[in-house]
Amino acid sequence: MRPDLSVVVLSLIGLGAAAVVALWWKDTPVIHTTGDLLTGAGQVLGLLSGYGFVVLVALMARLPPLEHGIGSDRLARWHAMGGRYVITLVTGHVLFIIWGYAVTGHEQLTRQTVALLVNYPDVMMATVAWFLLLGIAAFSARAARRRLSYETWYYAHLYTYLAIALAFSHQFADGASFESSLTARVVWSALYATVGALIGWYRFITPLRMAARHRFTVQAVRPEAPGTVSVLICGRDFDKLHARPGQFFRWRFLTRELWWQSHPYSMSAMPRSDLMRITVKARGEHSGSLAHLKPGTKVIAEGPYGAFTPTLTRRRVLLIAGGVGITPIRAMFAALPKHLVGGITLVYRASDPRDVLFSRELDAIAADRNAALYYVIGSREELGYDPLAPGVLQRMVPGLHRHEAYICGPPGMTQAAVTSLRTAGVPGRRIHRESFDF
Amino acid sequence: MLRAVLTLTGTAAGLAALLTFKSHPATIAAAQPAAPPATSGATSSPAPTSASKTHPAAGKSATPSKSQAAGNSQAAAARTVTGAVANTQYGPMQIQLTLTGQKITNVTVLQRTNDGSESDEIDSTAIPKLTSETLAAQSAQINAVSGASYTSMGYIQSLQSALDKAK
Repeated sequence: MRPDLSVVVLSLIGLGAAAVVALWWKDTPVIHTTGDLLTGAGQVLGLLSGYGFVVLVALMARLPPLEHGIGSDRLARWHAMGGRYVITLVTGHVLFIIWGYAVTGHEQLTRQTVALLVNYPDVMMATVAWFLLLGIAAFSARAARRRLSYETWYYAHLYTYLAIALAFSHQFADGASFESSLTARVVWSALYATVGALIGWYRFITPLRMAARHRFTVQAVRPEAPGTVSVLICGRDFDKLHARPGQFFRWRFLTRELWWQSHPYSMSAMPRSDLMRITVKARGEHSGSLAHLKPGTKVIAEGPYGAFTPTLTRRRVLLIAGGVGITPIRAMFAALPKHLVGGITLVYRASDPRDVLFSRELDAIAADRNAALYYVIGSREELGYDPLAPGVLQRMVPGLHRHEAYICGPPGMTQAAVTSLRTAGVPGRRIHRESFDF
Repeated sequence: MLRAVLTLTGTAAGLAALLTFKSHPATIAAAQPAAPPATSGATSSPAPTSASKTHPAAGKSATPSKSQAAGNSQAAAARTVTGAVANTQYGPMQIQLTLTGQKITNVTVLQRTNDGSESDEIDSTAIPKLTSETLAAQSAQINAVSGASYTSMGYIQSLQSALDKAK
């Protein structure tokens, strides 16, 4: 994990917000009445929302520096938290504007709402946009996502583009800060246009260019364990992808049922120039369908993505894998240079012996590298102890606190492992993690 | 959950501070010693927007209060301020304000939409309404008159520019 880029990006976002507030400050006359005050609040919230939405979209534009420097999982979390915040801001904007105008015009609230909808240009469209956003927020809430299919959530989320398009014009038509300043309008339009162009390039054009260049095609599907398969993907020039161990791609399998979805799956081995392998556990509709892929199916792949990849270090390396987290870990295990590291230890945690993947490969790699390999199988009750407790880890891994640690597994296990390592004295900056929950 | 509460509280506090500093000069003078930006410590990194909002507010407080205080001391004399011409689809709108100090006492329409008799009819009902709204609101935050959107928009635009000049 490299904290620096996150701090830079967050600071830039903050500076942008400050600039937006400064724009309001510059163009707004002194507040004299309650009506002015309420309207002023509505204006600030409106400007910040308009800015906030473009930032949210930019976070999801798959910009390579962000994906590599901050990590896709962290960006997704920021987007989710930011999304809830900005929708709250925009709702505040709507309410304060109605209230402020009503107080200024000595008008009743319902009549004022109707007046705003009917008399002010583009407010009707912006209101539709607001309802769309509230709907998207409702569909994205955790309680809803547990009950709804991925398909429903996905299509609902696409409406965000529509909402932003609908609401855009009312900013200029009704926003006091924009009416008086051509510069503000130009800069704002440039901001939206730039983010739109980035989306077009990185989310639409780049995957198509990559597919044309590398010709990703399903070669075979191999069962690895109950509910888990490896998909072998052939093509050309995979070395030009510059993929690093531990990284993943976003895969779009072009079959009738799956073409509209793109999902991230990690490489379970470093690619050859014409062959790649991903290993996927069936956890949902998409991952479950991969077992039935036919050889010859064309694929669009985006990537490589992921900040979870070993940096050059002379320290000893500890790899902890939980369940299907072994996928990127196995790639790292095989790819870590033999001479560089002082020693490698892999702790593979699985709840059931049938869930263990790649055991022969792992044994071979361990023998080749003279690495320590521990299979810890069974639940904590069956084992009688917590295999990730600090004391246990310290006995398994001598000199634990001097290691560089990489952990991948289900969120609960990953967090427990991180906590244990910190307790055992491993500093935060030497603990790297990835969880498959985004 | 806690983070959400802190972020929203921080935003509300930042917004309140911002609006306080934008208010009538007397309020600014009173608010300055009691400046609220202690909230900047309460927000945590995932929501930088709320943290940064308090800072511009705190920084800006000095300048507007000084110019406002100066303006108010010259208060009593009546003066006229002419707004910029606002071009609408149906013709130009230009208004002139008469102020005593910062208070609008009269609004004169120097130019109005001139696209034929229909403009005359619309304007004759709309303009008096807009003028009385302006006098009541003492700002450009007034309602458009339904059925006279272009007249209203032009009026409000010219009014806003006059108010900006009058500051």
